[in-house]
Amino acid sequence: MAAAAAVAALGRSLSAALRLPRARPGLPGMALNLYHKNLPKVETLPQVKFLHTTVSRRGLEEFFDDPGNWGEKSVKSGDSWNIKQLRGKSSEDLHKLWYVLLKEKNMLLTLEQESKRQRKPMPSPERLEKVETSMKNIDLVVREREIALRLLQTGHEKPVPGEWRNDFLGRTFWYSYKEWPIPWHLNKKHKKKRFYYLPHVNHFIRLRLEKALRKRARQQSLERTRRKVLERKFPDVAVKSQSQ
Amino acid sequence: MAAAGGRRAVYPLFQRGGPQLRIFRPNFFMLAVRPGVPQPEDTVQFRVSMEMTKLDIRNYLERIYNVPVAAVRTRIQYGANNKRNHRNQRVKKPDYKVAYVQLGQGQTFQFPNLFPEKEQDAETRSFDDFRDKYMEKEKQKEEGDPRRGGVPDWFGL
Repeated sequence: MAAAAAVAALGRSLSAALRLPRARPGLPGMALNLYHKNLPKVETLPQVKFLHTTVSRRGLEEFFDDPGNWGEKSVKSGDSWNIKQLRGKSSEDLHKLWYVLLKEKNMLLTLEQESKRQRKPMPSPERLEKVETSMKNIDLVVREREIALRLLQTGHEKPVPGEWRNDFLGRTFWYSYKEWPIPWHLNKKHKKKRFYYLPHVNHFIRLRLEKALRKRARQQSLERTRRKVLERKFPDVAVKSQSQ
Repeated sequence: MAAAGGRRAVYPLFQRGGPQLRIFRPNFFMLAVRPGVPQPEDTVQFRVSMEMTKLDIRNYLERIYNVPVAAVRTRIQYGANNKRNHRNQRVKKPDYKVAYVQLGQGQTFQFPNLFPEKEQDAETRSFDDFRDKYMEKEKQKEEGDPRRGGVPDWFGL
């Protein structure tokens, strides 16, 4: 009975430890840990009867930075997470990191709004960009893994099927199918949409094409002239590129 | 892992008897703001993403932040479109949703002062002293002859 209770407690605390994010120690250097490359893995707990796991101080405090950093002019923070670093992490680690970054982003947004309210400069606003790029990178990595899994299981790359269609202006676009409760031939609004174009639009397609070609030619000639100017100014660099 | 919630997220269609929608990596932001009008002690004011519902906000706070929520009320604040830029085009301030969350279990919350006055360390103090002395010197240079009693010296002898 006691053994069963202890085992149940062990299981619960293990699952809790796996679910909860790491406890935040109230140190000023804590901000560094969030962006550090090596995310500490969850340690396996020893088999003891009474387990004392550190309860993380959650709650509304997490909307605000460590109290030691309030009023500082700048707060140190590491670099954002790179895609290559994230590819080496397990999906569970990425999931936990996503929520850590989300809470950090909420904290920074709170600080930004409060600094605007108090008409004071926000300490280290570059942290927001770093968090956003990290979250974008996590999204990319998860998407890559999903696509790989989907290709192996079903053979499709995209989560939603679709096709290339022409709109009434002659432009070609990717139309992805949507889930509807009724079929398309009963949808009055959808039937008014035209996925074809009439012959008089061909003239405008030609004009659009000419415009795009002119723009591309302009960009290429600009690039060529810029390169020539650089080669004239720094002839030794030009020699190196030709030799390569 | 599959569904990510946020702006421009496409959720599967729900029909009666279908599965509950689950979002695994929500991109919704939520920031605490200092209330403009004094609120009761258990009420916290947030600015949330426009797509969040009261249920979403409750689940967000309870699951991610472990905060007991008793009640949530939301409203959308319209951002004004009156200001004009140098081209006389109207500049819109973005709309945002405000949520008033009442905490459960008798908890109270007071918005803290995030910019307390701190003692300046020796480096900033010396820099400030240096800057003040420099400004004083510049002002003295600008002043004209003290015998003229503050009268400018671009006219007269």
